[in-house]
Amino acid sequence: MIESADSVQDQLVAFLPNLRRFAISLCGSRDLADDLVQMACERALANEQRFEAGTRFDAWMFRILRNLWIDHIRKQKTAGIQEEISERPDLTGSDGEREVQARLALKSVSQAIAELPDEQREVLLLVCVEELSYRETSDLLDIPIGTVMSRLARARKNLVEAAGITATTERSEVMKGAKK
Amino acid sequence: MTKADFSDEILMRFADGELDAETAARIDKALETDDDLLARVALFTETRAQAQVAMKPLLEEDVPDHLVDAVQRMVDKKRARSTDEQSAGNVVPLRKPAAEPLSARTWRLPIAASFAAAVLGGMVGYWLSSNNGRPAEGLQVAGVSSPALIEALATRQSGDEIQLPGSNQRFRLIATFRDSQKALCREFEVDSPDQSTVISIACHAGDEWRVSFAVVAPGDSNGYAPASSTEALDAYLSAIHAEAPMSADEELKALQTMPQRPSS
Repeated sequence: MIESADSVQDQLVAFLPNLRRFAISLCGSRDLADDLVQMACERALANEQRFEAGTRFDAWMFRILRNLWIDHIRKQKTAGIQEEISERPDLTGSDGEREVQARLALKSVSQAIAELPDEQREVLLLVCVEELSYRETSDLLDIPIGTVMSRLARARKNLVEAAGITATTERSEVMKGAKK
Repeated sequence: MTKADFSDEILMRFADGELDAETAARIDKALETDDDLLARVALFTETRAQAQVAMKPLLEEDVPDHLVDAVQRMVDKKRARSTDEQSAGNVVPLRKPAAEPLSARTWRLPIAASFAAAVLGGMVGYWLSSNNGRPAEGLQVAGVSSPALIEALATRQSGDEIQLPGSNQRFRLIATFRDSQKALCREFEVDSPDQSTVISIACHAGDEWRVSFAVVAPGDSNGYAPASSTEALDAYLSAIHAEAPMSADEELKALQTMPQRPSS
């Protein structure tokens, strides 16, 4: 029996929470995310012989799901369907208003992630949340590794500003140094 | 004391564990004394940590039962099918043959690059149009009736490329395999003068060749290759449980033992 196929079948159900999280954060809707996840699983099983044993199953699944999502966006554009923005409340309002709001009340980190440009959000999710390497992310998204890094840096910068993340600079054991 | 100057990108790679050991060691060393540097690195580790915390609730959400059930059913179905095949002794990794003819690879690449996603599978056949307008000489899903094509399908080996006698079409035999019913199937390509290429699969059923799948790849659309076209072929091969392509010896033997019938 083909080892890789076994591994796809074995891993799929256990991987659903991760796949669903990635889908929700891509598309912003749980219903649509569930559809995407189901389609991705279907496609993965139909193409399980393409999964190479020894490579990351999560990256392979994320790629399938993301391709489905991109297809979905393309179809929507072709059909002239407007993007559902109800689940992204802060898309309305002028830049000025948003800026004021941002100063008045910093957003939660999850809100700030949701509002990142798509290309920054997916890189942040893959590297920081799903813990893929830069190389794996670059392969998954078909973009150069330099682009992964620049998007990731911008995503973090935006996150810092939107959610008011501050660095904890107290020296920990890990940093093992002494204060000047 | 001079402070080492590290770019944000280097520091981000450090925070993400993506830096070579030597540079990482230099940063480690610098961090012992440089609070500003520490603060810059901390922003990257902090954003990573906070993103993980923020996204954790989504991971802890219950996956809806209907979704888990649907996926579990798909897996069970697939597994049952694999078990059936395994007991039938014909499980072969699809399209990863040890003995796939080199030609199959070298040809597939340029043609994939010019695929238009005109997929005619299942009930639809593709008509080879340039046989002097005689429909009887076309290639139909019901059966192949062009004597030249029948001859080629019955005799040519993978890697062969010929001009079809009596036509201006080029014929290439790509691969030979058996489907789940053990029928002899041949993947082949026919180039027409208008530069389109038809990629087909014909299986020998009864005493005739039946075209069960065809993709048209126009020769004039260069550059953009939708991955869906090769996936369509693979998906089809997967759907009919195609075995791996035969080696040259197996193929020759299969052709020699194929029931011969008079060409029409």
